[in-house]
Amino acid sequence: MAVTDTVSVLPLAAVLLPTLAVPLIYAARTRPRLRETVTLAASIATLVTVWFAVQSPTTLVTPLGSFVGIPFALRADAAALLFALLAALLWVVTSVYSIGYLYALDEHAQTRYFAAFAVSIAATMGVAFAANLLTLFVFYELLTLATYPLVVHAGTAKARAAGRQYIAYTLGGGVAALGGIVLVGVLTGTVTFTPGGIDGLGATDTTLARIAFVLLVVGFGVKTALVPLHGWLPTAMVAPTPVSGLLHAVAVVKSGVFALGRTVLYVFGPDTTWDLGLGLPLAAAAAATMVIAGVVGLRQDNLKRGLAYSTVSHLAYIALGLALATPVAVFGAFIHVVAHAFMKISLFFAAGLIYVETGEKYVSDLAGVGRRLPMTMTAFAIAAAGLIGFPLVAGFVSKFHLIVGAAASPHPAFVVAYLVAGVLKLLYFWPVIYTAFFGRRESDSSESRHPFAPPHATDGGYVEQAMWERRSLTREASPLLLAPVVATAAAAVLLGLFPTAFPFWALAEAVVVEVFG
Amino acid sequence: MSHLLPLLIAVPIIGALVPAVLGARRPVISRRLTVGILVGQVGLAVAVLVAVAATGPRTYVVGGLPAAVGIGLRADAVSTVFVLLVAVTAAALYVTVRTDTTGPTDSLWLLFVAGLTGIAVTADVFNLYVFLEISGLAAYALVAGRHGTRAALAAFHYLLVGTIGATLYLLGVGYLYVATGTLGMAGLRADLAAVGYDSPLVVTAFVLVTVGLGVKLALFPLQAWKPDAYAVATPDVSALLATLGSTVPGYALVRLVFDVFTASFLDAVPLVRTGLVVVGVASVAAGGYFALRQSDVRRLLAYSSVLQMGLVVIGIAIATPAAVTAALVLLVGNAVAKGGLYAATGVFARRFGATTVDGYAGLGRDAPLTAGAVSVAFISLVGLPPTVGFAGKWYLVVAAVDSRAWVVVAVVLLSTLVSLAYAGRVVERLYLAAAPGGTEPVATDGGGLADGPARERTVVFVVVAALATVLVGLGSTELAAWFAPVVEGWL
Repeated sequence: MAVTDTVSVLPLAAVLLPTLAVPLIYAARTRPRLRETVTLAASIATLVTVWFAVQSPTTLVTPLGSFVGIPFALRADAAALLFALLAALLWVVTSVYSIGYLYALDEHAQTRYFAAFAVSIAATMGVAFAANLLTLFVFYELLTLATYPLVVHAGTAKARAAGRQYIAYTLGGGVAALGGIVLVGVLTGTVTFTPGGIDGLGATDTTLARIAFVLLVVGFGVKTALVPLHGWLPTAMVAPTPVSGLLHAVAVVKSGVFALGRTVLYVFGPDTTWDLGLGLPLAAAAAATMVIAGVVGLRQDNLKRGLAYSTVSHLAYIALGLALATPVAVFGAFIHVVAHAFMKISLFFAAGLIYVETGEKYVSDLAGVGRRLPMTMTAFAIAAAGLIGFPLVAGFVSKFHLIVGAAASPHPAFVVAYLVAGVLKLLYFWPVIYTAFFGRRESDSSESRHPFAPPHATDGGYVEQAMWERRSLTREASPLLLAPVVATAAAAVLLGLFPTAFPFWALAEAVVVEVFG
Repeated sequence: MSHLLPLLIAVPIIGALVPAVLGARRPVISRRLTVGILVGQVGLAVAVLVAVAATGPRTYVVGGLPAAVGIGLRADAVSTVFVLLVAVTAAALYVTVRTDTTGPTDSLWLLFVAGLTGIAVTADVFNLYVFLEISGLAAYALVAGRHGTRAALAAFHYLLVGTIGATLYLLGVGYLYVATGTLGMAGLRADLAAVGYDSPLVVTAFVLVTVGLGVKLALFPLQAWKPDAYAVATPDVSALLATLGSTVPGYALVRLVFDVFTASFLDAVPLVRTGLVVVGVASVAAGGYFALRQSDVRRLLAYSSVLQMGLVVIGIAIATPAAVTAALVLLVGNAVAKGGLYAATGVFARRFGATTVDGYAGLGRDAPLTAGAVSVAFISLVGLPPTVGFAGKWYLVVAAVDSRAWVVVAVVLLSTLVSLAYAGRVVERLYLAAAPGGTEPVATDGGGLADGPARERTVVFVVVAALATVLVGLGSTELAAWFAPVVEGWL
C-alpha cells in the first residue's frame, strides 16, 4: 500500500463525540432548546472531525488495545471515510428535521429519542471505522440495541411487535455473523480487514471458508435486507419518520451492506469469493431481491412501506455490485451507497412532512397534494426520478457504473436485473407522483361512507375537502421540515450534475484502487 | 506472605463468632465488626492476589504436616480471582443490600464466605468436601432464615438435594482414596496416571465427583432446588447465593477436572467427555426452555443460571485452553450479572411489590437507574459485546470451532437467541408495557416502605454490578491473560 498509517485520535473522536452527547442530552432534558443545541453541536462536531480525517494524506488509525484477545482498532481507510462522511453529513440534516418533526407532532419521550439517535450514530461511526471484523461486530450489535428504542418509540402494541421482530431478525443475524467471524479467525488467525482479502483464506479448508462466507452474508444480509431476510424493514417503518429516513434508509441498512462489502472485498477478496463459487449465488440473491422487492413494493399503499421496499431493492443494487466484484461495479456500488442515501432520505423527509402537514400516510389519500405541498412534492419527484435512474440526478451516475460493471463481469445477464428493477421503480413512483400533482380526491365515492348517506353532509357537519388548499412555496411547511427535504434533493441533483466535485467520488476510487490494485 | 492463606479461611470462621456472641445484645457493634471482618477479608484477598501476581502460586501446609494427611492450601492465578470475587461480593452485598441483621444469621453469612474461600484455596479433595459442607449448611440456613412455610420448605428441599450431592462427592473422594491412597490434589494427579485412567475406580470416582458438584451447579436434571431456594430467600441472600453459590463449585469442578483428573483423563475416557457435553447441552436447553416459561423473575433468573452453567460444563468438556478460559470467564460473568439482577429484584419487590415479569410493567419509568442496570446485566447474559458475557461466549465458540465441535458451536450460538427471548420479555415489560394499575410504591409486608438509605445503597450495588459486566468484558483480554499461565499449565 502506498498510503501509510498514522496513529490519530480522529477516528476515535468521531465515535466518541456522538457518545458524549448522550449524557449532555439527558442533563438538558428539562430544557428542550439546550438539548437540541447539544444534538446539533455534536452532529456538526462529528462532521468536522470526519472531514479532517478525509483531508488527511495518510490513513488514520486509533489502536484501542485488545478485546477478547483480538486487537480493537479503528482505521479510517477510504471505504470507512466514505460511509462515515455520509452518515455524519446526513446526521446534521436529520437533526434539524427531527427537531421540526418532533415539535410539530409534540412527540413523547423526546429526550430518549435524541439520546438513542446519538448512540445510533456513534455505533454507525464505529461500524464505518472498524479495522477488523470483531470491532465491526461490536458496533454492529450496539447499533441494533441503540435503534431498538427508536423503533418502539410509539410504545403501541404494533410498535412493540415491530421492535420484537426487529430485535429477533437483527440479533439473529448477529449470531450468524459471530459464527462466521469466529470461523474466519480460526481458519486464518486474523480477522483484520485486508484490501483484496485476507491471505490464505481461499487456501484453507474450502468447505469451512464457504460456510464462513454464508454465515457472514446471512448475518450482514439481515441489515442489508436481502430477501428473505428483509421482513423487519417494512415493519420497522412504524418508527418516527426521521428514524426511517436516517437509520432505516442510511445508517442501519448501509451498515449491513457496508459490512457485506468488507466481507467480500476486505476479508475474502474478489478473487477468493469467485474462486470458491460464492460470488454467483450472492449475485443471484441480490438480483432476486431487487426484483421481488420491486414487485412487492408496487402493492404498497402505505407510503413509508413502499419506500421501505424501494430501500430493500436499492440495497440489492449495491449488494449485486459488490458480489459481481468487478472494479467498475464496486465503484458503482460505493457511489450508489451515497446516491441512494441522499435520494431516499429526501423521500422519507417528504413522507414525514406530508404526515405532519396533512396527517396522511397512504398514497391513495394523497391525490392532488401537490397543490398543498408544491415544493415538497417537487423534491419528492426529483428524488424519485433519481431512484428510477433518470439522468442529471445522482442515481443515474451510480446506476450507470453498476450496469457497466455488470456488463463487464463474467455474467453480463445481471444487467437485465438492473433494467427490470429500474422499470419497477418507474411503475411504483409514477403513480405516486402523478396522483400527487394531477389526481383529485373523490370523497363522495369513499367506501367508508354509509351507503345511504346523502352525497353532501346536510347536518351541518364535516365534509371532506375534495381539493387540497393551494399554498405557496414559502407557506407550505415549517422551514425546519422543508429545508432538509429541499437540501437533500438538491444535493442529489448536484451529485448527479457534478459527481466528481464531492469527496465521495475520490474515496470510492480509492477503494477500488486499494482492493483491485 | 504464605501465612495469608490460612488467614483467608480463619478470619471469617473465627469472625463468625462475633455476631453469634454480640448480635443479640449489641447489634450495632456486631454489625460494625462484621463489616470490618468482611472488609478485612477483601484486603486479605487483594494481598494474596498481589502476592501471586508478584511471585507466582503459593502453597501452605497447616501445621507442617505432610501433604497426604495435612491441610494443604494453594493459591494460584485462578483461585485468587474467585477468592477475591467471594470476598468482594460478600462485603458489598452485606453493606448495600442486607437489611435483616440479627446475630446468628450474620454468622451464617461469614461461614458461607469461609466455606467458599476454603473451596477456592484448598489443595486437598477431602478438605474440599468439608468446605463444601460448611458453605452448604450456611446456605441452607440462610434460605430458611426468612419466615414462612415456603422458605422452610424450599430450604428443606435445598438441604436434602444439597446433602445428597455432597455425599455423592464424598463417595467419589472415597473411591479416589481407595485407588491411590492419597487425598492431596498434587499427589492424586500423579497417582491417578499411575493407576490408569480407564480403571473402573477412577472413572466411578470421576462420575460421583462430577454428579455431586453438578447438584451444586444445578445442572439439568439436578436443578430443581435452585429456583425454589432463590425465589423464596430474602433479596440479599438470593443475591449472595446467585453470585457465589454455584460459581465457586463451578470453579471446583474446573479445578478437579484439570488439576486432579487432568485433560489426559478426558482423552483416555472419551465417554466421560461425551457425557459432559450432553449434560452441558441439556442444561443449556432445559435452562432456556424453563426460563422462557417462568412468570416469577427470580425463578427465571435461576433457570438462566442453569443455562449459563451448562455453557461452563461445555467449556470444561472441550478442554482446550480457550475453552477452559471460556468456562472461567463465564463463571465470573454470570456471577456478576446475577448478583446485580437479584439485588434489583429486591429493589423492585420492596418499592413496587413487583416480583413477576408482568408486574415489572412500566417500572423503567419509575426506577430508571435500576431498570437501566438490569438491562445491561441482561445484555451480558445474552452475550452481546462488549460485556463479559460476550467475552465468555466468544472464547467458547472459538474453542468449539477449533475442535470442530459443530453441534456445540450451534448450541452456544443458539443459546444467545434463547437468552434473548427470556431477557427480552423482562426488558420489554420494564420499558414498554403500560402499568396495569397504579404504580405507586406499595408496602407488601404490611409495614411502611423499606428505609430509604438501604434502598439507595441497593441501587448502587445493582449499578456497580452492571458496570462491572461491561468493564470486565472490556478487560477480558487481561482476564484471560491472567488465567493463561495456570490454564496452559493444566493442558
